[in-house]
Order: sequence, then C-alpha cells, then structure tokens
Amino acid sequence: MSEDAILSLKGLVIGYDLPLVKPITLDVHAGEIIAILGPSGIGKTTLIRTIAGLVRPLDGTFHLHVGRRGSLGYIPQRLGLVRHATVAHNVSLGARLSVGWSRTMFKDRKERTFEAIRTLGIEEKASEPVRRLSGGQQRRVATARTLAQRPRLMLADEFLGELDQTNVDIVLSAVHELVEEGTAVIMVEHHEDNAKDFATRIWLIKDNHLHDYSLEEWLDIDESSWREQHLGEEE
Amino acid sequence: MKYRLFGIVFILFFLAWQTLDGLVEGDWGRLEGGLSNLVVFFEESMWPPNWKVLEARSYPVCEQDIEFFCSVGYLGMMETLKIAFVSTILGFVGAISLSSLAARNLMPLYISLPVRIFLSAVRSLPSLIWAILFVIVIGFGPLSGVLAMTFYTVGYLGKLQYEVFEGMPNDPLEAGRAMGLSRPSIVMNIVIPENSNHLLSQLMFMFEYNVRHGTVIGIVGAGGIGYYINTYLKFLQYDKVFALLILIFIVVVLIDLLSLAVRSFVNEEGDVRKPTWLNMLIQARKRRSKSGDVA
Repeated sequence: MSEDAILSLKGLVIGYDLPLVKPITLDVHAGEIIAILGPSGIGKTTLIRTIAGLVRPLDGTFHLHVGRRGSLGYIPQRLGLVRHATVAHNVSLGARLSVGWSRTMFKDRKERTFEAIRTLGIEEKASEPVRRLSGGQQRRVATARTLAQRPRLMLADEFLGELDQTNVDIVLSAVHELVEEGTAVIMVEHHEDNAKDFATRIWLIKDNHLHDYSLEEWLDIDESSWREQHLGEEE
Repeated sequence: MKYRLFGIVFILFFLAWQTLDGLVEGDWGRLEGGLSNLVVFFEESMWPPNWKVLEARSYPVCEQDIEFFCSVGYLGMMETLKIAFVSTILGFVGAISLSSLAARNLMPLYISLPVRIFLSAVRSLPSLIWAILFVIVIGFGPLSGVLAMTFYTVGYLGKLQYEVFEGMPNDPLEAGRAMGLSRPSIVMNIVIPENSNHLLSQLMFMFEYNVRHGTVIGIVGAGGIGYYINTYLKFLQYDKVFALLILIFIVVVLIDLLSLAVRSFVNEEGDVRKPTWLNMLIQARKRRSKSGDVA
C-alpha cells in the first residue's frame, strides 16, 4: 500500500454466494477518477457496494483511509434520495456529515447546503419535494448531497446514465470541484465515451478479472473494436 | 377473475355462516322476538333522550356563565378527549422510538426481535384490561385512563409503524448507511420524512380510536364520559345513557372531519401542502371520478 492511498484493496473477493471476480489488490489515491466498465451482471455494482460497506466481502480486506466518519460519499443507482422530503432536506444530509459540532453548527450546515444547491443550479427547486423533479434534476440533487458532504472518497453507480449533455456537464463540474479538493471518485459507468471524458483510470471487469488501466493505456486500445474485445455482448 | 373472486367471497361467507351456526348450536329460536324486545326497551327506557346531561350538575355549584360547561356531558366528554389526546401523543412518541428499533431493515435481529416481542406483549392486552390494571395499581381517575391508553397505543401503533418502515424503499437507507449517518439520524432524517403520510394517517386513526375506547375504559373507573355512562347504567337511567351516546356519536363524526382536514395536508402522491376545505372537496371529487372511471 502506498502512503497516500485513500482506499486499499487486498485480495478482495466480491460476490454474494459465489465469487464474481478473482481477488483484487489495488490502491486508490486522492484526486483520481476511476470509471468501472464491464458487461451487465459482471460485478460492477457489487464492487461499489462492497467498498461502501453494504456487502460483506467473501475474502480479503479493504481499508478506507478517509479519517472522520462520514467521509465516504455514495450515490446508488436509484440515487437513494428521500422522495417525500424537500431538495434542501436531502442536500442537508450531506452537510450534516461535513459540519462538526460547534456553536454555529446549524448556520454552517445551512450555508453549506445552499452552496451545494447553488453549484448544481437547483436553487429554484430547493423547497420542492424531490419526487416532483425530473430524473436529471434528481441526479443533480444527489450530486449536491455529496458535494455538501465533501467526502474523501465518492462512489457512484451509473449516475450519468440517461442524462442529457447539459446535466452531464453540470454534474461533472461539481465532481471536479470535489476532485480538486483531493476527493477520489469511483464511478460505475455504462458509456465508454463518458468514461474517457472524465476518468483518469479505467477498471474493466471482464472474464472474472478486474483489469486496471490508466487513461493513456486505455486510449491506446483500438477504439473501433474495444466493445468487441472488452465488453463482449455489451451493446 | 371476477367470478373467482366472487367464488372466494361466497366460500368465506358460507364458512362464516357455518361457524356461527356451530357457535349458537343451531338454536336460532333465540332471535325470535329479539327485534320486538329491542323496540319495547328503546321506547320505554331510552326514548326520548334525557338532555339534562347537558345542564349544570346540582353539585358542585356552577361558576360558569353558560350552564353547559358544568354539565355531565361536557365535563365527561372533555375528560375523554383530554385522555385520548395525551395518550395518543405519548403513545405516538413511545411507538415511534420502539418501532424504529423493531423494524428489521433498520436494526439487527438481536435488537428487533426482543422489541417486537415486547410490542406484541403490550398489544395483546386490550385497553380495557390495561385500564383495570392501572385502576388497581393507582386508583380511579383519568391518570389510570391515560396510562392504559398510552400503553395500548404504543403496542398498536408500534406494529403499524414498523410494518410501514419495513415496506419503504431500501436505497435511501443504504445511501444513509454508506455515507455514515448514525442510526438515530437515519430514522429522524430519512425514515420518518419518507413515511410521513402514513404516520400522519395512523396518528389520526389512533386518536379517533382512543376517543371511542376512552368511553369504554371510563366504565371501569378510568375517568371520562364512560364513568358517567356506567353510573347511569347502574341506576337504570337509560334515557341519559342514550343522550350521552348521541353526544359521543357527534364527537366521533367531528373527529372524522378533523382527520379529513389534517390528512389534506398530504395529497394522494404524498406531497405535503396547505390544507383547505376546498382541497378536501376537490380530492373527494377526484376520488369519485377516478372510481367512476374504473367502473
């Protein structure tokens, strides 16, 4: 393990009953953006959920070197928003974790919440229940929640999917804001084009193996045939 | 599908009829003359209702300008409403703390199972038995009523609440857990807001239930209007009992209207909004037209 690693995986075996991927040994460092690619059902979401502490690994260990509690941001596939609560309430859940106990705690939380809401351009919707928002707006709320949390490691499961380009740009600029502060990001991504646009590292899961590529290595792979070679039946 | 449902209902009805026949051991002759007995009892003992229950009592001396406020009906009903209000609120707070410990998706089995057993135990005693117990322990009066109703509310509402919590979507809970929110914070900030519509509805139902049962527990000496009903029954003053029953009916209808108003805070899709009488009427019309569409 290198000293500045935020996440260290040592012989990690993921899966529910049977192992999905051969043991994984990797480090993730501050400021890295990792896209996980691979066909459906191969174990991308399971890997994210294992790192998030929601699924117990079958073998091996993983260590999060993130310091304080609440330093792990997580956006599940269905976003995990409280649908009947307002946008501001949802974003404040992130701020609650990043603002410590102090006399000005409530004021600081509120400021951080509205700062994140403004960054994602959803201030007009702040007092609306989340369930009334469109899919794209809901993804912006989930991103704002993570932005307000200011985590050291952000995990996101296919959260750029089904977004139009405007929303992708807004969300990615918020993610880059976090990365500049030293957050590492691991995203499950279905679209290779998106991955190439924002990732600095690619994890490809194929044939029960996790292949780790830097972006440069990945770009060297022949683009025209990459789906055939690496994603198999993936559309 | 329609015929299958009809068949199932018919079979269930037939089974119920057969069971009832077994219970009365085929002696249906008892019902003969039942209706005429009821008519005689009603005409001779209950009708007309004796509205003296709404006049001031002879003792203690009434110091109010309006006599009604010193009447048995008003004082009894107010005590029943107060008992129901306090016990519903206390019970709701107790129930929500315990139900969040009892929900299997919020707590590990070694915590949720004992809490569920405790809630079942509390619920298995009807409010009337709780009232008798508290009357024995702390004596006659409204405090026994409040404690009895509170315990029953905790048991009953606790079950309704943990079933609602267990039915909620899993992804907000997982997001909260992975982010590092504490269990109390998940309950307060994710579980309760997500289920607010159901919780509000259950709270109003429980208040109405407690008002209706408040009249029953008064009979065993736990305060409220039931205490006066019991007294009049003992002295065979059925006309006064009838007047109090009409009063209870009016109050229950008023609570039902209040419940409708409170629930109009939350619309069919679960959004919280400002309640107005117009909202309520529009909602009722919408519901009617929807059911009309289905038909």
